[in-house]
Amino acid sequence: MLSHAAAVRGHRRTPILPYLLMLPALLLLVGMLYPFLLGVYYSLTSYFLQYPHLFKFIGLGNYLKMPGDPLFAYSVQFTLVYTAIAVVIQVGLGVGVALLLHGRIVGRGVLRAMMLMPLMMPPVITALMLKVMMASTKAGILNHLLGLVGLPPVNWLGSINSSMLSVLIIDTWGNLPFVSLILLGGLQSLPYEPYEAAVVDGAGGWEVFRYITLPLLKPFIILATTFRVMDSLRIFDVIYATTMGGPADATMNLHMRAFFYAFQWYQMGMGMAYAMVLLAMVFGASYLLMSYWRRAAEKTEL
Amino acid sequence: MRHWMRATGWVAIGAVLVVGGWILGAVADAAAGESSLAYFRQAKINWRQFEGQKLTIGLNKHQYTESLLPLIGEFEALTGIKVDYLILPENEYGAKLTADLSQQRGEFTVIMAGAMRNWGYVPPGWMVPLDDFLKNPKLTDPAWFKLDDFFPSLIAANRWNGKFAGGMGEGPLWSIPVMSESYVLAYRKDIFDQHNIKVPRTYEEMAEAARQVKQKAGIDGVVARGTANFPTIATGYLSGVKSYTDGKWAELDEKMNAQFTDPRVVKFSQIWTDMLRESGPANWANMTWYEGMETFAAGQAGMYPDCDFFAATYEDPKKSKVAGKVGYALLPAGPGGTTYSGLFTWALGMSKATKNKEAAWLFIQWATSPRSLLNATVEYKNYNPTRLSVMNDPRTQKVMGGWGNGGYLKTVQENLKTARVAWVPEPERPRLGDTWARALHEMYFKRLTPEQAMQRANDEVNKIFTEIGLRK
Repeated sequence: MLSHAAAVRGHRRTPILPYLLMLPALLLLVGMLYPFLLGVYYSLTSYFLQYPHLFKFIGLGNYLKMPGDPLFAYSVQFTLVYTAIAVVIQVGLGVGVALLLHGRIVGRGVLRAMMLMPLMMPPVITALMLKVMMASTKAGILNHLLGLVGLPPVNWLGSINSSMLSVLIIDTWGNLPFVSLILLGGLQSLPYEPYEAAVVDGAGGWEVFRYITLPLLKPFIILATTFRVMDSLRIFDVIYATTMGGPADATMNLHMRAFFYAFQWYQMGMGMAYAMVLLAMVFGASYLLMSYWRRAAEKTEL
Repeated sequence: MRHWMRATGWVAIGAVLVVGGWILGAVADAAAGESSLAYFRQAKINWRQFEGQKLTIGLNKHQYTESLLPLIGEFEALTGIKVDYLILPENEYGAKLTADLSQQRGEFTVIMAGAMRNWGYVPPGWMVPLDDFLKNPKLTDPAWFKLDDFFPSLIAANRWNGKFAGGMGEGPLWSIPVMSESYVLAYRKDIFDQHNIKVPRTYEEMAEAARQVKQKAGIDGVVARGTANFPTIATGYLSGVKSYTDGKWAELDEKMNAQFTDPRVVKFSQIWTDMLRESGPANWANMTWYEGMETFAAGQAGMYPDCDFFAATYEDPKKSKVAGKVGYALLPAGPGGTTYSGLFTWALGMSKATKNKEAAWLFIQWATSPRSLLNATVEYKNYNPTRLSVMNDPRTQKVMGGWGNGGYLKTVQENLKTARVAWVPEPERPRLGDTWARALHEMYFKRLTPEQAMQRANDEVNKIFTEIGLRK
C-alpha cells in the first residue's frame, strides 16, 4: 500500500519536471505567437489607428485590395529582383573571400579579424556612414576617389538608376563578412583525404575547386544563401536610412511599403497584410532552401 | 609606494574639489530655484492644489524638449505634482502616441501636438479643449499667463472647429504653441553682391538667380528638400504653390476632392522641379531638410527656401562656412504680387484619457509661461519664440539680432504677420503629402509630364479619402 502510494507520487512527480524546464521556451513561444496571430488578425481587419469607428473584420479585403495599390506589383518585383542579385553577389564574393582567407597568405590572422569589423556595426550606422561617403556633393569621398582616377562622379543615391546599386553596395559591405565567416568555417571543417587523393591524381587548382571544394562546401553555401535570402527579402534598415524607398519609388520593397502603411499612415490593417505577404515569401523561400540543404548535407555526410 | 601616496593625494584633492564644487553648485541651483519659484508664485493661483498627483508626459525629441527636462524638478518643487516623462524620436513618437490615444490608455497625459497633429487627434475626440482651463480663475491667472502675448497667427493655428478642409482659427484652442517655424529665403549675400544677382521677387526670377549662381560661382544654385515624403512639400514648395495661386488655392475642396490638377499648381510644380533639375543639387531626390541645411552651411549652395531658424546653424562659425555671409528675405511672390509663407508649430496639448486633467493643465501653464519659454530660447536654442515678449527680450535679441546683419529678425517678424498654416485641416496629411511628393519625383525625373503626374496624385488622393469615408 505504502509502496503503491510512493509509486503514485513518484509517477506524478516525474512528468512535471520536463514541463517546468520547458516553461521558459513555452513562454517565449507564446510571446512570439501572440503578436504574430494578432498581426494575422489585424491583416484581416480595416484597422486605422486614427479612425476607430471604421474597425471591422473584412476577411481577405486588404489582400484583395493590394493589386490595386499602385506600388504593390512594383514592390514585389523589387523585393524579388533585389534578393536575387544581392544573394548571387554576396555569396559569390563570400566564396572568394573565404578561399582567400583560407589560403596561406601573409597576415592571415589580422585580415580575418579585420574582415569581421563591418559585422560589429549596427546596419543603420553602416548605412548612414556610407550615405555620407556617397554624397553627390564635393564632400562625398567616393566621388572624390573616382575623380582621382579620372572617372565622372556618380549620383549614388539620388538617381533612379543607381539607387538600387548603392543600397546593394551598402548591404553587401555590411553582410559579406557574415557569409565569408560561414564559408570559412566550412572550408576549415573539410576532410583532408579527398585533397590528398587529388594531388596524387595530379588534379590542378581549378579542378580541385570545381570537383572537390565546391561539392563539399555545398551545404555551407546553401546555409549562407538561406540566411541571405531571408535577410534580403526583408531588408529594411539600409533602405530606411538612405532612400526611404525613393527616388521615385526606385527602391520601394514590401517591407518599406508595410512600414509606410502601418507607421506613417497609421493604416494597421493594410500594413499588417503587407507584412504577412512578406512573411509568406520569407517562409516559403527558407522552407525550400532548408529542405535542399538537408538533402545536400545528407549526401556529403556532414 | 611614495608614488602611490602622491597619486592618492592628488586624487583626494581632486575629490574634495569635485565634491565641493558640486555642493556649491547645488546651493547655487537651490538659490536660483527659489528665485524662479518666486516668479511662478506671483501667479494668483494655488500651485499646490493638486499636490501628490502624478503625471506622465510624452515628448518628441526636440530642442524645446531639451529645454524642458532640466526644469521639471522646478515644477515638482512648485506644485508637489510628480512628473514622469518619455522622450522618443519623431517617427516613433507619432506612432506610439497615436496608439496610446486610439486605445485611450492615458499613458501620455500632456502631449506634444500642434496644428497639424491636432487634425488627426481632435476628430476621434482624443484631445481636451483648453479654453475651460484658461477661463477658470482657480486654475489660471490670465494676467500672469498673458495668452495675448503669443503671436496671434500661432494661436489661430492651434484653434480648430473640427470641420475638415476648413475651420482653422475658429473653435476651441487645442494646444499652446512652444515653437514655431515659418519659411524664408536664405541666400548667399556675398555671391549675390559679387555677381550682381538680384534677390528674386518672383519664382521665375528665383529660377534665373539659381541659374546664375551655378554659372558664376560654380556651386548649386539652390537646394531644397527632395525625398518622396510629405516634408518635401511642407516648406518652400507649398509656400510657393500658395503664392503662385495668390493664397486662394487649397489641396482639397470642402467635399474633400483633390485639387492637384489646377493649371497654376501644375505650372508652379514645373517651375520648381525644372529649377532643381537645372540648378539644384544632383541628389535633390534624396535630400532631407538636414542635408539641405548642411549643404547650404558648407557654402555649397546659393539659396535655400526653408525654415527660418536654420539661421542658427548658418550663423554659427563652428558649424558653418557662411556665417555673416547670408541674407534673409521673404519668399518670392506669385503673379498677383503677394508672398506667402507656411507656418508650423509644436504645441502642448492634453489627452482626453488623462485622469488628472487639472494637474496636467498646471503643467502646460507652467511650461508655456513667459519665463519657461524665454529660458527655452535663451538657454536651449529653441528657435523661434512663440511669445512676443520672448522675441523682444534683450537676451533673445542678443542671440538672434545679429543674424544676417540684423536682417534676420526683421524678416521673420514681417513673415509672422502673414504666415499661415498652408495645409488644409484633415487627418491624412502625411499620406496626401507623400503622394504629392512622389508626383514631384515623376516630374523631376521626367517619367511623367507635369500634367500626368498631378493627375495621378489627384486620383490616388481621391481614392484615399473615399476609402476612409471622408469624400462622399
